[in-house]
Amino acid sequence: MSKLIVDNVGKTFPARLGGQATRALMPTSLSVSDNDFITILGPSGCGKSTLLRMIGGLETPTEGRILLDGETVTGPGADRGFVFQSYTLFPWLTVAQNIAFGLREKGVPEAERLRIAADWAGRIGLKGFENHFPKQLSGGMQQRTAIARALANDPKILLLDEPFGALDNQTRALMQEMLLGIWEREQKTVLFVTHDVEEAIFMASRVVVISARPGRVKADIPVDLPHPRPYTIKTSPEFVALKERLVEEIRAEVMASAA
Amino acid sequence: MKPLQPVSVPSRVALGLGFFVLFVALWSVATFGGYVQRLFLADPLTMVGEGYKLLVEYGFAFDIGMTIWRVLGGFILAVIVALPLGILMGAYKPIEAFFEPFVSFARYLPASAFIPLLILWAGIGETQKLLVIFIGSVFQIILMIAVAVGSIRRDLVDAAYTLGASDQSVVMRVLLPNAAPEIAEILRMVLGWAWTYVIVAELIGSSSGIGHMITDSQALLNTGQIIFGIIVIGLIGLVSDFLFKAVNQRLFPWAAK
Repeated sequence: MSKLIVDNVGKTFPARLGGQATRALMPTSLSVSDNDFITILGPSGCGKSTLLRMIGGLETPTEGRILLDGETVTGPGADRGFVFQSYTLFPWLTVAQNIAFGLREKGVPEAERLRIAADWAGRIGLKGFENHFPKQLSGGMQQRTAIARALANDPKILLLDEPFGALDNQTRALMQEMLLGIWEREQKTVLFVTHDVEEAIFMASRVVVISARPGRVKADIPVDLPHPRPYTIKTSPEFVALKERLVEEIRAEVMASAA
Repeated sequence: MKPLQPVSVPSRVALGLGFFVLFVALWSVATFGGYVQRLFLADPLTMVGEGYKLLVEYGFAFDIGMTIWRVLGGFILAVIVALPLGILMGAYKPIEAFFEPFVSFARYLPASAFIPLLILWAGIGETQKLLVIFIGSVFQIILMIAVAVGSIRRDLVDAAYTLGASDQSVVMRVLLPNAAPEIAEILRMVLGWAWTYVIVAELIGSSSGIGHMITDSQALLNTGQIIFGIIVIGLIGLVSDFLFKAVNQRLFPWAAK
């Protein structure tokens, strides 16, 4: 059975100041199985983030419905971890307190919270930084903490909205490997939005390509590369062939939206 | 000088003190040099002498204590009312819509213009003094706190909700800590304004306090005492400002620049 079902979900933003209503996403369907790593690939402004935000409960669909484990999504909740593109660590909390934010909300006792936070800090390579404030961390460290904060809650699904978009290329590659490593060990269901083709292929078991605005699913391509995937896989013939194909798909969309 | 280039701590202290020295020097030249008549402006030495007399012979320390008590009393009353209301207005838009227009109107009412009415209502006792400070501060604090609480990055609130936060925890664990350093800064500023109200309140119908001493000295044309009183107010303001800043930096290390 599918973990997450997106059933004909569409979004239209209402008209503002006498303008026209904006169709962000055409009715879209998608089903995600347990422990899948799906990347949603599309050009800027195609509605891929809107789709993710609707699954996260941060936006309300204009039509259609979203089911997680058979239950309709009506708003944000701890069962769907969300990592944003912008840095959203709480600046007044330390790394450990940030990671434990959701746990405290659940009423987990303090000793247990500290143990889980320390454990996650270690897993994301931030051992020794537990008592640092976000402003003392680099962008990559902040996003790693944000991922740990979402995962410490043990959500059913992890939603990531271009989390590495603001990072430099080298850091970004390391972050992809780290996230993939966590996924390989923890077996989580992950939905990852990106506009970077290489990033989309490297981590995914499936790449869903969204068309230019108004977005709809244009292609749904399985990625059958073996696991564990070292970064060297990016130069393998299979990877390069997939990349060529996806670059073509995206290029057509970018040209459509620029026209 | 390069724009925005920081200045080292020793030279900042030296520059800051430098202006005080320059100020006293100009004042000395104007008074000792005979450019200003003694009737209108006492010289620095006379001022210090009068101040000494005030403190030792006339029990001026008691007046200072009274004034500080009034400022703090009125200010704390205002904070007790304004803090919860401002937070509620910042967090909940219907509450803001209900109070905001009236509070915006009320904050332009000059506190000193209420003094005659307040004397009528509350007499010339301590209640009236506290009320002047209260009226002068409360509306300002409410509005500024509401703005501080409401101006939070939307994605921080979104993040809290996706971590399972309830509406109440978003207020208590996100909006409040986010606004806390700014709230402390607002209180520091308004406390400064409260000092100007207290003196005005004490100028009229009062038997103690720095403002009362100033009116008495005016009757005797003792400009030395008046200036000493004003300087004492300035010094107390400087000290309280300094303490407030130090406490804020202690409380909110994550917000320091």
